[in-house]
Amino acid sequence: MLKHLYDTDCVTWSPQGKLFQVEYAMEAVKQGSICLGLKSNDFVVLCSLKRQPSELAGYQEKQFKIDDHMAIAIAGLTADARVLCKYMRTECLEYKYTYESHHPVGRLVFKVAEKSQHKTQSGAKRPYGVGLLVAGIDPNGVHLFETCPSGNYYEYKCQAIGSRSQAARTYFESWFHLFEKSTLEQLILHGLSALKKAIMEDEELNEKNVEVGILGKNQKFIHLNAQELKDYIVKLETFNANTQIQQE
Amino acid sequence: MIFNSEISGQQQHTTSPVVTGGSVIALVYNGGVIVGTDTLCSYGSMAAFKNVQKIAQISKNTIYASSGEYSDFQQVVKELAKIDRSALQYDDGVHPSPKDYGNFLARLSYKKRCKINPLYLQNVIAGFHNGERYLGLIDIYGTYLESNFITTGFASYFCKAIISNYWNENCTLDQAKQVIRECFKVLFCRDCRAHDVIQLAYVDAQGAHIEESERVETKWDFNGFKSRANEKLHTQ
Repeated sequence: MLKHLYDTDCVTWSPQGKLFQVEYAMEAVKQGSICLGLKSNDFVVLCSLKRQPSELAGYQEKQFKIDDHMAIAIAGLTADARVLCKYMRTECLEYKYTYESHHPVGRLVFKVAEKSQHKTQSGAKRPYGVGLLVAGIDPNGVHLFETCPSGNYYEYKCQAIGSRSQAARTYFESWFHLFEKSTLEQLILHGLSALKKAIMEDEELNEKNVEVGILGKNQKFIHLNAQELKDYIVKLETFNANTQIQQE
Repeated sequence: MIFNSEISGQQQHTTSPVVTGGSVIALVYNGGVIVGTDTLCSYGSMAAFKNVQKIAQISKNTIYASSGEYSDFQQVVKELAKIDRSALQYDDGVHPSPKDYGNFLARLSYKKRCKINPLYLQNVIAGFHNGERYLGLIDIYGTYLESNFITTGFASYFCKAIISNYWNENCTLDQAKQVIRECFKVLFCRDCRAHDVIQLAYVDAQGAHIEESERVETKWDFNGFKSRANEKLHTQ
């Protein structure tokens, strides 16, 4: 009940040292449908579950290419995500125009985080209601970052955000030690396995509601097409992380 | 660089340089890249400042030299250093490669050219990154060229023959140094704004090395000069 005394705007702290508006914004991320990312030494894979508002509607895209070497997966308010996506694309284009090389990934995530933080320190603004998983390749290697409405950002080996993402994270905790040396195919199957843990009982993964994007050191960001998705979902039936250990 | 004339109230543009530096010669060799300049800044035809370092280290593996207006050279060094510091700001350990600097300078030069207020320079960026040698030429208009060898100023006229006869892209460091010294020898003889004290700098896998200035060998004791000096004066 006391919460309501301190949650009117971003410029009010609670006695416990919380900014409730920012926390509420992070709730919006948790309400979005799940998206996850995982990386090996050479590849990053993004998997997401697309929502269909109604039978008449299409499925909402969750992954966006920022540049050849970078892509994001979103969870939360799609409209806010579009703003950040446009900002990131513009920054990459400007960097490329000036330096003829790719924007370092960590730096762009830092810029997004700075922008997000700015929205948490004003009486007239609200935080972005979207969390991003940023996959990118740069001279420092293969990266996967998560950004929050709070303006924090973290680098991960693998991460899942959105609705029921804890189930996917539990899967990751058991198997992430295999990811570094996984092949691309194994990585995709791990991602889909984690995604499968996070869907409802009456749902199933199919090529319409699953989105998989891959990015590699010599691989520009691409989405898997419908046929490839179908094939992987079939392979998922026989995929078992245990077999990967035996091979190694 | 942009002067507001209080008399006319008009913005003025740099139309001619005042304190200028001479030719720059840059070559690749088997282990990296090497750049040579002389150490003179001329004030028109006066050899005003004879001990000037015209090669700057921009980052661990990149060096920059230019011929033309020396104050513009100093300004460019500041601009490029700003970029290198950005790595500190973002805490990510990612430093611009020599090519990034080259392209940035090209964009900067082009922007100023479009405003008819150029950086009065022929710029050379030299570096060694990820095992690859880099030499970039950026001219006063913002034209960007990468090459195995670069000459600016009078060196483009006098030294290309020497370079093509005595240098190849896989020569040793000492061979490349000798070629550059020979070039500056010729330049001192033929270019009125050249000087016989030069400075060499090279970048290899270990980083940038800027050497102490050295005097090129010159020979003046030709018989022709000696006997000319002793010629009888022609009288009517």
